[in-house]
Amino acid sequence: MSLLERNPQAPNAWLGDLPVTSRYTAGIAGEKFFRAMKDEGKILGTFCENCDITYIPGRIFCERCMAELDHWQDVGTIGEIYTFTLLFENLDGTQREEPLAVAFIRMGDGGLIHQLGEVDLEDISIGMPVEAVFKPKSKRQGSILDIQYFRPLTE
Amino acid sequence: MSERVAIIGVGWAGYRPVSPEVSYKEWMYEAAVKAYADAGVDPRRDVDSFVTVAEDFIEGTSIFDEYVPDQLGAALKPVHTIGGDGLHGLATGYMLIRTGLANLVVVEGHSKASNVLTLPEITAYAQDPVLNRPLGLNTEFVAGLEMNRYLFETGTSLEQCAAVVVKNRRNALRNPLAPYGADLTLDEALEGPPLAWPLYHRHKSKHADGAIVMVLASGERAEVLSHQPIWILGMGWCNCAPSLESRDWNELRYIRKAANMAYQQAGIVQPNLVIDFAEIDDTYAYKELQHLEALGFCRVGEAGYLTEEGATEPEGELPVNVSGGSLGMGNLLDASGLARALEVVLQLRGEAGSRQLEEVEVGLAQSWRGVPTTSGAVAVMSH
Repeated sequence: MSLLERNPQAPNAWLGDLPVTSRYTAGIAGEKFFRAMKDEGKILGTFCENCDITYIPGRIFCERCMAELDHWQDVGTIGEIYTFTLLFENLDGTQREEPLAVAFIRMGDGGLIHQLGEVDLEDISIGMPVEAVFKPKSKRQGSILDIQYFRPLTE
Repeated sequence: MSERVAIIGVGWAGYRPVSPEVSYKEWMYEAAVKAYADAGVDPRRDVDSFVTVAEDFIEGTSIFDEYVPDQLGAALKPVHTIGGDGLHGLATGYMLIRTGLANLVVVEGHSKASNVLTLPEITAYAQDPVLNRPLGLNTEFVAGLEMNRYLFETGTSLEQCAAVVVKNRRNALRNPLAPYGADLTLDEALEGPPLAWPLYHRHKSKHADGAIVMVLASGERAEVLSHQPIWILGMGWCNCAPSLESRDWNELRYIRKAANMAYQQAGIVQPNLVIDFAEIDDTYAYKELQHLEALGFCRVGEAGYLTEEGATEPEGELPVNVSGGSLGMGNLLDASGLARALEVVLQLRGEAGSRQLEEVEVGLAQSWRGVPTTSGAVAVMSH
């Protein structure tokens, strides 16, 4: 309880809230991308011939030249930690009990934002190769959470 | 059509960490009447058009733009609200005058951050809903990722970021408008819990409430109405790809491009030689360093050293955030860019009190809309 809420002399204020629920269409590209993840445990990208760029996640347009893209590629499940952070707060701003390692994993000319697992926090470094760990097929739902986390690549 | 545009009046209310006794409308009103008195204009009679910046989720009111006319004197006048930072609002007012649609324009921005009880959730709702939001991450992770890559790429140290915190919060002690003034040591600026390592809590600006209003005039009107017009020499704005997967994590090309757009209009080739001081975004301490480099004041990787050496102190070669910046004055949400511009106006007029810089002719203001955006704007001004 804040100081203001405890003080009976505090200036008057009205509290209001609004339930916000939205539906987000995955789209033509999203459908293909998440279906491949769910059904085959694959990560797909699209290639732009004009720009020589592979977008990961795959999308149907090139943001550089605006060409329509339909050249889909299986880009594997391995990437490299481009940058990472140790997150000490939950989404709502409360303190986390344990910090969470979050990384941008570079794959092709794009990549994915995800958390890291099976690694000591002190051992994480930029440039480290990592691989996606998928949930068991029966538990996948066609979302980014079908990947549980990325873990350091072991030979 | 007017080639030249000047700021002929400024007004402000705040800034304070909390303001339970005053509504956002009353604060807008206070800032507006100050600005109109300063400019010597009657909003009901003289002003042609009004521009405000606001975001519905932050205001807690749908279609918030409906709620701005009365307290500004803008009822039955052309008025519109844009989604953008205060400098985007300034750019919109600038365009209205440059195109000849208006001769006198009012620009407003405000923050009632202390009333936003679920700001982390609202900010998280700005993440990509399909690719990022399901991960359930506090949006500060974006700053943590960017800062870590910046330190890695440039060799900038945590101590150099802390030097920004020390400088700006110390500058704020000489600014009566700034609530977060403090005399910290480097060690103290490095203390405390991490937020999104390598980002620490003390390296992030805290929020404040306040309102800022500016009156813009065409060259002709400015010459008649004002004895100290502050001329807008150039304005630029730019966005990078918003997607965290395809954006450029290394370099702030959108800030570079926004700056070049403004420099080109102002006829500036080497910003270092022309610009005497700068008020730039320091939502996070590392951003001040990154922005200094992207604005072309130094090469990539040099800003940390320059800050350590004192080059950006009030008595340095390029004073940066003499006002205290967002670290010292508080983060005013989308009004932050107007707070930066306000300090440039006050300095150029010689009205900055005990923090007044000597012999300043050209100043720069720059803004960034915060995580997860890649949205920046730049204004160059002179007296």
